Order: sequence, then structure tokens, then C-alpha cells
Amino acid sequence: MDWLYLAEVALAGLGAGALYALTGVAFVLIYKATRVVNLAIGEILMIGGYVFFGLVAGAGLSVWAAIPLTILAGAVLGVLVERTLIRPMLGESPISVFMVTIGLGSILAGIVELVWGADPLRLPEFIPNTPIFLGEAYLAPKVAYGALVAALLIAGAVVALRFSRGGVALRATARDQGAAYSMGIDVGRVFSLSWMAACATAAGAGVIVGAIGGISPTMGIFGLSVLVVVIVGGLDSMAGALVGGLLIGLVEALAGSFLGGEFKLLATFSLLIIILMIRPYGIFGSHEIERL
Amino acid sequence: MKLTLSRRSLIGVAMAGLVLGAVEARAQNEEIVLGGSIPLTGVFAFAGVGIHAGIQDYLKIVNDAGGIKGRPVRYVAEDTGYKVDASVAAFNKITSQNKVSLYYGDSTGFAKTINPELERKGTMIMAGASFASELNDPKRYPLQFLPGPDYTEMFGILMRYIAKEKPGASVAFVYSDTEFGRDPIAPSEKLATELGLKVAEKIVTPPGSVDVSTEVLKLRRARPDFTIFHGYVLAPIPEFIQQAKQMGMQSRFMGTFWSMDNSMVQQMGEVADGFMGVMPYRYYYDKEGTSPMLDKIRQMRPEYQSTAYMQGFLTAMLMTEAVKRTLDAGKELTGPNMKASLNTIENFDTGGIIGVPVSIPGNSVPVGRIYRFDAKQKQMLPASDWIQLGK
Repeated sequence: MDWLYLAEVALAGLGAGALYALTGVAFVLIYKATRVVNLAIGEILMIGGYVFFGLVAGAGLSVWAAIPLTILAGAVLGVLVERTLIRPMLGESPISVFMVTIGLGSILAGIVELVWGADPLRLPEFIPNTPIFLGEAYLAPKVAYGALVAALLIAGAVVALRFSRGGVALRATARDQGAAYSMGIDVGRVFSLSWMAACATAAGAGVIVGAIGGISPTMGIFGLSVLVVVIVGGLDSMAGALVGGLLIGLVEALAGSFLGGEFKLLATFSLLIIILMIRPYGIFGSHEIERL
Repeated sequence: MKLTLSRRSLIGVAMAGLVLGAVEARAQNEEIVLGGSIPLTGVFAFAGVGIHAGIQDYLKIVNDAGGIKGRPVRYVAEDTGYKVDASVAAFNKITSQNKVSLYYGDSTGFAKTINPELERKGTMIMAGASFASELNDPKRYPLQFLPGPDYTEMFGILMRYIAKEKPGASVAFVYSDTEFGRDPIAPSEKLATELGLKVAEKIVTPPGSVDVSTEVLKLRRARPDFTIFHGYVLAPIPEFIQQAKQMGMQSRFMGTFWSMDNSMVQQMGEVADGFMGVMPYRYYYDKEGTSPMLDKIRQMRPEYQSTAYMQGFLTAMLMTEAVKRTLDAGKELTGPNMKASLNTIENFDTGGIIGVPVSIPGNSVPVGRIYRFDAKQKQMLPASDWIQLGK
């Protein structure tokens, strides 16, 4: 057994897993507060990548100005989507809302193709490029810094959720909408807030994912892996998104290295089936989750 | 014998003559239709847009010169979004509304799906964006052809170059887990052994994968002299090369046709320097020697045109040449006749689109050249002579 190789593979897997976790957090934020399964999360992430590209390559802004603006754009998009597409669907069956998010994904991909074209593009290099060695183990710098930023953002989200007024309101709404409403919490605003925070997070994740793998109108596929992550972790659990993300990243990396790349998805989805059989609500999910 | 001709019968003969003449004239001016299922949107749109323009431009050149033996060629295309069902729907629509003789298909899936229908109709020949090795079989796909080498032949060209540059070298294949990616792998492994090369590692990446760190670690352990990517357009090639270089790997990186467009390679940034690959056509900016067609393209379109454009342009050229040869031989424009005419193409001058005269003995044009990216000039430049397989 080559322990160094195993360590490198595990590190790479955890690095990729951190990005899954970050996008998973965005997914969970929406589900937790509004009970909407947002299948457009991959496309919102893609929009983040493209907006960043537009600001840097098109408008000529510096990278460090473009990042906060991209996150802001994500937040604005979140509020817009919530107010125009999701709010009118309030009270409709979950399947209808689910379908609306699928439609939203197609619309976003279409907009990107219209504005930026269908060619795959590369984001300007801004993540430090010096190789990172932990002991003797190599870690790709983009993945390492991406994971670091993802960890910071997740930590920020967790802290905000626990201590900020908005976070408390969001958790209260998630626990019991009626009770929250009667306690004077503006549930509508909480819905907007959760979409805003989730889309901002996804847009930020899009910048990191785009910096690693480039951007294209098809990068929304990333959202599919994230769906597995949140189902494994539990649709309404932040900790679940975190653990699920790292677990899926690790399993993918180990399967890819020791079994071959064609086994990556096989391993991931096998894990998904096993978890669903043992804990149908995910590792950390609440038991009362309504399944579609 | 006394020949009597009444006035009525004289008029009858004259009328018949007129009608026959009109039919003849109509046959001469009857347009030839090139139909196309073209991916103008969707994942393959980057190529579809170029292909579309290339076909249009070549047909404009043909029509401006009076068509093929006086018959204009009309191009009828539909967008498919690179989906097989949409391609089939476009095919049915176009072929039911027009008398189509030539057809451009957008994918391997479509080429395989439509093949029985193509044979049943027997009225047209088809080529397309697919260079799948499977299609390079005149028995199974008698009415189709590839306007270049198939993917296995591309690997053959690359490995012949490698075997010449560094005999006994080790190579790694990195490919996507798609039909496109897997296409040339098994036969190329066999060819590598025949050429005295060692296949050090085969790495397959799931479609749409973003992060390739674990795959690069695997590649580092294999330490190949050459790494051939196949089944990708851009991502994840740049990230792969970048990480491999950071780990101090000395491997030389190569690609096949669809990852070789100059503007695409430019996007790889600094890691593009030295990236090599096989290309059956010459690049838009290539001014070496005389190349009337490239000059014409540059005249029609002053800005850079992609390799997909060249592919569409050459496909239209080979198709119309097959029509011309069929008409020259006084034969009817049926699929088998046009395909037979296509196969008579020998040492054909493409006007500089391909750097050597080409022949189409079967279903492919097995020729290509190795190009290497020069970061200073920001261009893919020739790194070898033209390599013709089977010669």
C-alpha cells in the first residue's frame, strides 16, 4: 500500500468535497426554510461563474471587486426568483414547485448561451498557483484554496444561521411556520432571505468551481452531484450537507483512483442507495421530510 | 413509301418536343439540396455554428460559379440542440419537404440511428460531425463518410509521430467516459504495442467532471512520456496539464480534432504552450504555399474561423464533388451512385484545406498532421509533415 498516494487521493477528495458541501449548503438553506427542492442550484452556480467572467473579462473589473459583486448579483437573482417564480407557487403541490425550478434551470442555461455563447470558457487565473505540499503529499493549489474559501463561507453561513436575527427567524420558520408567523416573524421575508442567501452562496461557489474547471452552459450538471450530497446528508441539515459533501468527495476520489474513473458515479450512487435504505431521510435529515 | 404528316400530328410532335425540352431544362436547373441536422444550440453549439458557416460559404462559392453543372445547391438546416431525437425530427422534416441528395448529421448517435432509413431511401449520402471509428465501415454504413480520419486513425497518426520521435516511449490515454471518449481506446492500445510503444496508464473521467486532482495523481504515478487526451473540448484538459506540470511531470500533452481549435487552445492560458495534437485540416491563418480555398475563406471572412468551420467547408466540398462526378458520368443522383463517385476521389486537391492531395478509398480521409501550440505567436504551428495512413 502506497500511503502517500492514499493520502494525496484523500486530500484531493476532501478538497472537491468541500465544494460539494458549499453548494449543498445553498441547497439546504432553501429547502430548510421553504421546503422547495431547488433543482436549478447547478444553473445558479453557473450564473455565478458567468457573472464573474463578465465583470472581469467584459467590464474589466479587478478580481477582488468582481467577487463581492458576483455574490451580490447572486443575492439579487435569489430575491428576484423567489418573488416572481416561487412566491406565486405558494400552496401549490411540491411537484409543481419542483418543476418550476427545473424550468428555471433551463431558462438560466438559455440566457447564458444567448449572452455569452455556447463555447466553454476559462476564468482569469486568480487563485495562487504555487503547489502546496502537506508533508510530502501534493495538493492541487486551486482545490486547496477553493476548499479553504468554501470552509470559510460554510462557517460564515453556520454562524449567521445560529446568531443573526435573520438566521434565528429562518430556523424558527423551518421548525414551525405557523408558530413563527404568530410570533411576529415575517415568513415571506424569511423565504426571500433564504433564497437570497442560498443564491449568493451558490454564485460564490460558481466562481470557485469555474476557476477550477472552467465555465460552460452545461456546468449546471455539477448540481446533480450536489443533489446526491444533500440526499445523503439529509435535505434539511447543514451538518448533513457538510458531511455528505466531504463523504461523496472522498468516495469519488477513492473509487476513481483505485477502481477507475468509470466507477466514480457507480460508487456515489451505490452509496446513495445504501444510505436511503438505512436512513431514508439522510444521515442527519429530519424524520418528517415529505418525500416526492 | 410516301410519308404523310397531318397538321394535327405535326402540332402534337411539336408540343411533345416542347414538353420534353422543358423537362430536360428543368432537370438541368433543378436544385440540389444539402440538408443538415446542425447543433446550433446545446453542448456542441461551439462547433455547430462554425460548421453551419463553413457549409454555407462553400455552397456560396459553388453557386456563384454557376452551381454544379448549372444546378444550384440549396442548404436547408435545422437546429437540433445536439439531441438525437431532434436530429431525427429535423431529418424527417427536411427530407419530406425537399428532394435531398446530401445530408449533414450532428452526432454519432444520429448517424447510427438514421442509417437504416438512409439505406432504405437510397437517395442521399451523409457525413457529419462524428469521426466515430464505427462509422468507418463501408459495409455497415454504405452511404456515409467521414470528412477526415476516424478517432482511431487520429490516435494512429499521433502514435506514429510518437514512435518516430521517441521509439519505445510510454503513453497514457486520458479519456471521457462517453461513447466519444471510449471510441479509439481498445484498438489504439493494440496499435501502440505494434508500434513498440508502452501504454503506461488509461485514465477515464466521468462526463462533466470538474475536479481532476485524483486523476492527475494517477497520471503522475504512471510517468508517461506522452499523454493523449480524447473525448474533451476544453475542460478538464487545462487543469490536468497545469497540475501535472506543478508536480514536475515532463510528459508531453496531446489532443484529437475537437480539442484542437486555435481559439480553444488559446483559452488554456500559459499551459497551452507546447500542447500538441492531430489536425486533418489547415488552420485559418496558415499561409504556407498556395491555398486558393484558404485565401477565399480569408477574403469572405476576415476574422479567424474555427476548425469546425473548416470541417463543414470540406464536407460540403467533398459532397458536391461526389455530385459533380456522378452527373459527369451521366448517372442518376442516387445514394449508391454518389458514394461510388465519392470513392473515385483520388489525389484530389482540396485547394489547401488539407495540405496534401487526398483520396477516399473507404469511408474516411485518413490523413492528418501534428500541430504544436506556440505561446509567443499564440498559434498552433505544424510540428510534423502530413501523415497519411496506409501509405
